[in-house]
This record gives sequence, C-alpha cells and structure tokens, in this order.
Amino acid sequence: MSIKDKVPVTILTGFLGSGKTTLLNRILSEEHGKRIAVIENEYGEVGIDQGLVINADEEVFEMSNGCICCTVRGDLIRVLGNLMKRRDKFDYVLVETTGLADPGPVAQTFFMDEEISSEFTLDGIVTLVDAAHIDQQLGRSDESSEQVAFADVLVLNKTDLVSDDALDTLESRLRDMNRMTRIIRAENAKVPIETVLNLSAFDLDQILKRRPTFLEPEYPFEWTGVYDLDAGKYELMLEEGPDPEMSLVALDNQGESEEELKDGAESSVRLYAEKANTLEPGNTIPYGDHINLKLEDKGNKSFILNIEKPTKIGLFTQHTAEEFNMKVIKSEENKEIPFNIERFWQAEHEHDDEVGSIAIERFGDVDPEKLNTWMGRLLSEKGIDIFRTKGFISYAGNPRRIVFQGVHMLFTAQPDKEWGNEPRRNQLVFIGRNLNEKEMQEDFDKCLI
Amino acid sequence: MPDIEPFSPRGMFHEGWTAEVNDYAIACGWALKGKQFIVGDVAGGLFAFEGDTGKIIWEKENTHSGGLLAMAIHPEGEIFATSGQDGNVQICNCHEGKVIKTLDLGKGWVEHLKWSNDGLFLAIASSKKVYVLNEIGEEKWISEDHPSTVSAITWSNKNELATACYGRVTFFDILNNKTNQKLEWQGSLVSMELSPDGDIVACGSQDNSVHFWRRSTGMDAEMTGYPGKPSHLSFDDSGKLLATSGSERITVWSFIGNGPEGTMPGELCHHTEPISSLAFSNKGMLVASGSRDGSVVASFLKKDGNGDLVGAAFAGDLVGAISWRPDDCALAAVNAKGVVNVWKFKVRTNLFSKGFK
Repeated sequence: MSIKDKVPVTILTGFLGSGKTTLLNRILSEEHGKRIAVIENEYGEVGIDQGLVINADEEVFEMSNGCICCTVRGDLIRVLGNLMKRRDKFDYVLVETTGLADPGPVAQTFFMDEEISSEFTLDGIVTLVDAAHIDQQLGRSDESSEQVAFADVLVLNKTDLVSDDALDTLESRLRDMNRMTRIIRAENAKVPIETVLNLSAFDLDQILKRRPTFLEPEYPFEWTGVYDLDAGKYELMLEEGPDPEMSLVALDNQGESEEELKDGAESSVRLYAEKANTLEPGNTIPYGDHINLKLEDKGNKSFILNIEKPTKIGLFTQHTAEEFNMKVIKSEENKEIPFNIERFWQAEHEHDDEVGSIAIERFGDVDPEKLNTWMGRLLSEKGIDIFRTKGFISYAGNPRRIVFQGVHMLFTAQPDKEWGNEPRRNQLVFIGRNLNEKEMQEDFDKCLI
Repeated sequence: MPDIEPFSPRGMFHEGWTAEVNDYAIACGWALKGKQFIVGDVAGGLFAFEGDTGKIIWEKENTHSGGLLAMAIHPEGEIFATSGQDGNVQICNCHEGKVIKTLDLGKGWVEHLKWSNDGLFLAIASSKKVYVLNEIGEEKWISEDHPSTVSAITWSNKNELATACYGRVTFFDILNNKTNQKLEWQGSLVSMELSPDGDIVACGSQDNSVHFWRRSTGMDAEMTGYPGKPSHLSFDDSGKLLATSGSERITVWSFIGNGPEGTMPGELCHHTEPISSLAFSNKGMLVASGSRDGSVVASFLKKDGNGDLVGAAFAGDLVGAISWRPDDCALAAVNAKGVVNVWKFKVRTNLFSKGFK
C-alpha cells in the first residue's frame, strides 16, 4: 500500500483551555469535503458538534525492555485497528489528546505498530498554545514544552488577550524551542483548515516545496542593504566595530520587494553554510560567495566592488551597517551611495529554554558509514532527550537525496528524489532537551567527506 | 483391480458454497451443531446460512449502532451473543435470530465475549471491566476496574475466568468473587490463549513476543524475535502445540517433553502477507490460517510443530475470520469484502485411504 492509500492522521495537542475543542468543532463544521473520524481523549465541557467521534481513555503502554521509543498508545492501536475495517466511512482521522499527553507515544504508535503503520500515516502534529498562559505553563511542566517541541504547526491562540510585543517575544521563544514548526496566530482558534490538515509534515518533500530550507528562518546575518549601482568601481568602507571580522554575502540583481529580499536571504543562508573565504582590506569582493572581511586594522578599511553593468547589489552582512558605520563609496567621485532599502533579520542567538532546536546545514557529501555510526550513537545515548529529527543528507556516491525522520530513537532513512543540478547539501534539525549544539555540529562535520 | 475403491480428489479443500454479507465480515461461527453458519459484519449486520448449502435463513441489520465488535456462539449452538460500539450485549436465538436479552453496559466498547465450556456463563469485556452473565442474561459477577482496557478473556475452567490487560493476566473465581492468581509482566498483552487443561497461559505482547506461564509450576518464559506483534494464537485440542503468528509466518511451539523452552519451533511459511486469522481444528493437529492476502491454508502438524500443507484456497480478500465446523469436515472463511466461503474439508481417514491397499 503506498502512502497515498493510507489514511492521514492529524494529532491535536495542547494544554487544557488552549482551544483544542474549539478548533476541532471548527474543523468538523467547515466544508472541506473530508469525512473525519475523531478520536477524543478528553471529555471537555464543550461538546463535539458532529462527525464520527470515538472516546477512548489514553493508555500509555511501556514495554518490558524499558525502551522509551517502544512506548505506544494502546487506546489508539485498538481504536484505529477497528477503524481500519470501516474505511469506507471516513477518509481522515483526527486524534485529540488530553492536555497532559506526551506526544511521543502518540507519534511512535504510527511507526512502531505494523498493523497501524500499514494503514495510517501520520500527517502532522498540531499544538495549540494559549498565548496568555503558555509562558507560565512552559516553566511548570515538561508536557507543555514537549508538545511545543513535537509540533509541526503551533497555533498561537487567544492572541486578542495579549499585546503585540508580548506575542513577538513569545513567538521567538517558541521558535527557539522548535525551529521546524510553523507558527500561526489565531483568535478563538480561527485558522485556515489547510494550515492544520493535510500538512504531509512527515513528508519532507512537501515541506521543502513550501520552504526550500525548511527551517523557519533564523539567519546567520543581521542586516541587508540593497544598493542601486551604475557600472564602475566602488569601495565598501568600514570603521572599527564590535568584531575584528565580519561575514558577508554580496548578491547581484537583488530585488527590493519583501519576497525578493527573502529569496536573497534564502540563497545567502545556503552560502553562509559554506566555508568563508577571508578577504584582506583592498581585496575585491566576489558575488555569490561567503566571505569573511578582515577588520583587525585600526581606522577605515575598504574592499573593492566592481560593477560591470548597472545592477542592484544586495549585501547580507553578519552585523548591521551601523555597527561598523559601513558605507558604499563610488571611487572616482568619492561619493557615498546610500542604500535604496534595508532589512533587518532575526539573528541566531542564545537559547534559554531547556528544550530547543539544533540545525545543521552543510554543503557536500557525507560518508554513510560514519554518519550511521554517529547517528546510532547519538540516538542511543541521547534518544530520550531528542524528540524529533528531520532532514536530508547527501550520501557520497548516491544520486538520490536521503531523507531522515525520527521520533526519539526511532528513525528512518530513505532514498528520495535525485539531486539533479541542485547543489548537494545536508540539512538536519534536532529538537530536544539540553542538546549540545557545538558538539553535535562538530561530530557531524567529522562525517563529511 | 477389485480391491481398489475410488476416492475423492486429493486436495483437502472441496467446493462447498459461497455467500455474501453487506460489509466487512469480522466474526463467524457454526451453530446448531454445524447445521447453521452465522456471520457478523463490522456495520452490525448478522446473517445465518444453512450449513450445507449456504441458503440464507435469516438476516438482521444495524444490530449495534456504531458497529459490531464481537460475536460468540453458545457451545450447545442454540443461542449466541453479540456486542458492539454502542456498549450493548445482545443474546439471540439462532433459529430466527430473535433477541432474547439486551444489556446496556454504558459508553465503552464491548470488545470481547466468551461462553464458558459448559455454556453456563457468558463473560463480557468492556473497557476496564469484565462482566459474567448466566445463560439467560442475568448478571452474576462484575470485576473491579482493571489497570487498563481488558484485551482478552478466556475461561480456564467452568468457574474460573482469565483476563489479560496491560501488564498482567488475572484469574478470577467468579462464583466466590475471589482473585485466584495474578501473573505479571510489564508489557501490553494483545492476545491470550489457554491450553485446554487451563495450565498453560500464552499471551502475545505488543513488543513482538509471546509470553507464557505454567500455572502448576509457576514457570514462565518469553519467546522473542517475532517480526510483528503476535495477535493470533491457537492451541490444539491436546494442549501440546501452540500456533502463533504476528507476520506472514506461523510459529508453532511444541510443549511435548521439555519444550518449548530451548527448542526450535516449527515454522509454516505459506502466506505472502501477515496472518489475519488462525485456528486449530476441533480435534487433531490441523491448523488453518487466513491471511491479509486472501489465502487460506490448512497444514497438518507433527509433534515438533513443523508440518505439511494439506490444502489451500483463495478467499478473495483479507480473511476476517475462519471457523472449523464442529465435525472438522468443513472450513469457513469470511473476508473484508463480505464474502463467505465454505469449503468441505476431507480428512483421509482409514476408510478413505482404502484405495491404497
């Protein structure tokens, strides 16, 4: 049976009072042409309006081997096992968990039980958070941070009760915890249905189509300026700043619309993943390359920009222009050319929560054997703390991309589409508790060829 | 050659009859000493056929709103019980299908029904509770809540009921409302069978193993290495062979001698997809299996659990349930498309094999 014939399942998690039942009712009452079977674990005060609803007590079954990845949800196996025989009655399944549910066993059920995995496919995990209360909940309980960590989609609900500033802060906190997730703000759980159903969140190809780097952006650069430049020679002047060096990517033909800026940022993120070429003052800046400007000397330092024909140059810089009083000067006229537009980006920063995401992005190929050894060791040692793993890898000698998916220690690695002309690269995201980013990145680097 | 008498073809499955029910058939069984065959479908349809011809005798629809979950025919074959997602249990008469008694046990699914061997009691599992009724549907005993949903029930003797749930098997003396024994094992027990003498308890576990206990000695053992969870278990009538399956393969443990601990089990590999139903014949060492691929196979086993295929047929789609006629001279299979197949099954007895003299 191919994945297309399997019934998709969405898991709806969130603390009591976060609006799960409201969202469920909304989904059931909307015209979407799907016949949805609901498995409900919480007897909320608000009833479910319609649909095929099955109540089941949550039953978490641990196994004698003590392995947490073998922990499954017995109630789901039973109920889904029965639903399997009534496939003509529905074409989608929604599982609503109780507020205190650990999403791990729910997700693992779809990997661990052969009967279930042969008929159903986990489409995605949607977590509702109550914008007014999640801050305290995250401090108090492991379950709420795990629900955030597992989410493919986070619905930041009840936004009307919280100020915009507080929402921004909260969103960035949640984003730190889970960089794979998509955050949707909502009042009264009002979200477009297509943002929560049929996500194919476990189908990486779909995710990559939506977002080529699939990580919600957290950029290795803080600032972009777009300069409209005629043909000629220019200098990029920098004064002393907070760092003795600065990374930069210069792109030509950079558009000024938000979309074009984001496209540019996306390309720059990939370029930033490559090793930087160091430039001394007086050197010429190449386009489309990750470079590192040496800024140790006192006073003004300048680097050369050669423009052959009129174009717009986008500079994606590690720090803001202001920090180095960075200017573009036309050499012949000694005239400063101001930027047409500037854009600040959310930069990578320190993470406070125990639960966080680690992203590894590298160009090139990995040695499959080394990678397997490393992943095997990592997951056996840290599997309890690693909630989800997602990503793709370029195996040396393999024309196809290898897609990784994991929940705790369980992971699958499958060949996916061919690389074709795309540059070969690796992207892995780990979401977990107390993960050592530096160590993991270094270990991954050792797997590169 | 006057000594040689002709006998029927050698294949063990002979054409019998076929019929259809309205939905995915999940339960079936023989009533009235094999004169009638009753089939239940997932939507709650019940159908009674003439055992020899397949002619419909009666049919009923929507017996349980939300769907049927279990059916059990009384050992005398005059009445049967059904249960469903509506939390109800019905006891019906086999001749006309008329409801004799309906019990409402509340909201939970009623997933398991078992008549005691002497037919005096009906055990019912619904969520975490087990109920015992007498033949006319009067409540005789109710268990306390089990720690989790009860996953299997079976009678160990006429007054003793065994229940399985997450982490344990419990034996209840239902007449004296007493717990006789608790066997604990941290694992999700998904199936349970007892040897006919009630001594050996075998359970399939979610962690792809079969766990068994000998009640008389207190010894227990775990058989691991199954590719899937062993949902299907069946003892032969002597209690010497236990057929188990959690994949397309059937593993047979032999309790003869010191086994099965430390012995190699027998293996039957006749199906291409996982087994969906498994049943020993009422007498003898014949085991029938039905698979998700629609194949139905009968194998004749030796004492060590290995065996030979003696017949095979195609049931058309995933085999929902199989059932041997009480005299073992017919085998029935019902499938996910609602098709009923009944084959005559010929065992080569001395009488038949005269031709070889």
